Amino acid sequence: MLKRLNGQDDMTGAEIPIRDAAFPAPFVSGLEYNAPARGPWNIVHTGMLIPESHQVFACAQGCLRGVILTAAEMLEMGRMSWISVDRNDLFDGSLERNIVDGTAEIIRKLPKKPRALLLFISCVHLFAGCDFEFMLGELRAMFPDIDFIDCYMNPTMRKSGLTPDQLMRRQLYALFAPCPADPKTVNLIGNDRPTDGTSELAQLVKLAGWELRDITLCRNYEEYMRMAKSTLEITYLPTAKASGDALEKRLGRKHLYLPLSYDFDEIERNLASLADALGIAAPDWSEAKRNALRALDRAKEIVGDTPVEIDYTATPRHIGLAALLAEHGFHVTRVYTDAMIEEERPAFERLRALAPDLLLTATVHAKMRFAGKGVHERGDVLAIGQKAAYFSGTKHFVNIVSGGGMYGFDGIARLADRMVEAATHEQDTETVIQYKGLGCRSCL
Amino acid sequence: MLKLAFYGKGGIGKSTTVSNLASAFAANGLKVMQIGCDPKADSTASLHGGARIRSILDLVRERNNDFTLDEMVRLGDGGVICVEAGGPTPGLGCAGRGIITALEKLQEKGAYDVYKPDVVLYDVLGDVVCGGFSMPMRKGCADSVFILTSGETMSVYAAANIAMAVRNFRGRGYASLGGLILNRRNVPDEDAKVAQLAADFETCVAGALDWSETVQQAERLGKTVVHAFPDSPMAAQYRALADAVLAAARKGDAPC
Repeated sequence: MLKRLNGQDDMTGAEIPIRDAAFPAPFVSGLEYNAPARGPWNIVHTGMLIPESHQVFACAQGCLRGVILTAAEMLEMGRMSWISVDRNDLFDGSLERNIVDGTAEIIRKLPKKPRALLLFISCVHLFAGCDFEFMLGELRAMFPDIDFIDCYMNPTMRKSGLTPDQLMRRQLYALFAPCPADPKTVNLIGNDRPTDGTSELAQLVKLAGWELRDITLCRNYEEYMRMAKSTLEITYLPTAKASGDALEKRLGRKHLYLPLSYDFDEIERNLASLADALGIAAPDWSEAKRNALRALDRAKEIVGDTPVEIDYTATPRHIGLAALLAEHGFHVTRVYTDAMIEEERPAFERLRALAPDLLLTATVHAKMRFAGKGVHERGDVLAIGQKAAYFSGTKHFVNIVSGGGMYGFDGIARLADRMVEAATHEQDTETVIQYKGLGCRSCL
Repeated sequence: MLKLAFYGKGGIGKSTTVSNLASAFAANGLKVMQIGCDPKADSTASLHGGARIRSILDLVRERNNDFTLDEMVRLGDGGVICVEAGGPTPGLGCAGRGIITALEKLQEKGAYDVYKPDVVLYDVLGDVVCGGFSMPMRKGCADSVFILTSGETMSVYAAANIAMAVRNFRGRGYASLGGLILNRRNVPDEDAKVAQLAADFETCVAGALDWSETVQQAERLGKTVVHAFPDSPMAAQYRALADAVLAAARKGDAPC
């Protein structure tokens, strides 16, 4: 017999006080729900970061719907084409041939040849054992002036190996081949939005007289390809770490993973590592720390005892952020997270001791279908992140994804300022969060 | 490192032959890895007393990606590194996909770099029926394909199909056809039929094996002939075949 999971009375399985929660996976995986808060980027958004590139998706029509809508919403339909796959392609062994011929036809029909072509194959091609290298080899021979990148839309494989998001961020730099390095140049790898120029990371690079290169700042293909010649690779998002590791292995250049953090000691350690790699002495960060603390105090004064709810899309270190805010007297009541990364373990233990009643809430649990749209509405909440805003129904929220480009002590100060702004200004939540890919052209 | 794939009609004796070749190579001091690409996961049975070993697909099913390279292999008689790809439940799932996954896992976990075998033998199920079964002959896998056949019509027919697939894929830089291996079933004009097939595909009969009760005796012991009856005439045939296969593989595409 079917049972309605209305989530109104019983949220068992979908939320748990942190004191009772298991780390890193507090919830049982099962039937999943996807809230209509679409800020995090998908593979289409990320791929569009390569200037002057074109995307070709080869997959079944049902799967094409989502990627095409993303491109349409970005107003980038001119940079995407597709090849649909049907049943007969499996019977007659034409899966590979159709991709090669279809891609060639697309290229010939484009008004201007792209500099790079991102070719996405899908689950069916991997199941059938298509030889991607062979297909790319044929295309490279036909179009030697275009750089081809192998890309993957394979959601059925997301539970093993790299996630589609990690893989896409890695493939963004797949064209970079070993070459002589430009001295004193550093890449910020795997981000989908620029990092604030006021961050200690950017300031340190500037202080050392190095040039910071970032795909989000590249205006044309030449600038993007110049990144291949940088001396040092930096990543700070967990989803970008595999990209940095791959570049280090392939190009033989140093990769520094300096994880986004809200822990003062960890931030200082990261900056010390960076200073060391840049060949300068680490500056005294006392003033930067004081600024961050002052900003938190100001925010606490404004936010007061308003419940604060944070979701995992706002920052990969959502537990760390919750711990920081709780330590500074904020009334953090809920964190929306389906699973946590190992890096969060120390913050998880701190938060558990500090706020044992804080609720961890799954975002994908089936019961969450009824958690938004007012059923669980708690109007006086200050939310950080779109999913927290959606589920709580608040009009007061900090609209960021993936850390929002805020990094270091400066990042904490800026985030505190954004909290003040959110606490004092209402937003039309429903309108704001319905767009995919916060920070893309569609959301500007 | 020499990588060789063995194809042929089901029941023609691929696993028995490949395991005996592995034993013969190992006896000559070569480091050998044998990879069974059959859902039954019994390719290497005669190299470890007839016992079944845990297949890569078993590991993937149980632990996703959370297993080590060491857990994917078992050392058999003569130090042969035994691997079984495994596959889905009979009648369900996709055997070809199983082979793809298994070979990808071996690559991912660095099997060839870590063990550094001198010879890798892929024992592949039946026919090239889908992309999964062509995987062992792709770039990065086998250098040469050997096809086992008897003189029986259906066996010759299957061998011709496989040879055709190898020829079709040659333009892609896949494995070359190393030759045919005649596993005699004592049918009329057997040698001539197989020689004709070799001529049709411009390849050679790399070696021939007689039907022998010794093979069944060794199988009952859960051993290879080379290991169980090293002084038997059949063991001598396997050793001769091992030399011939190596010579043919090193020759590559050169005409017979």
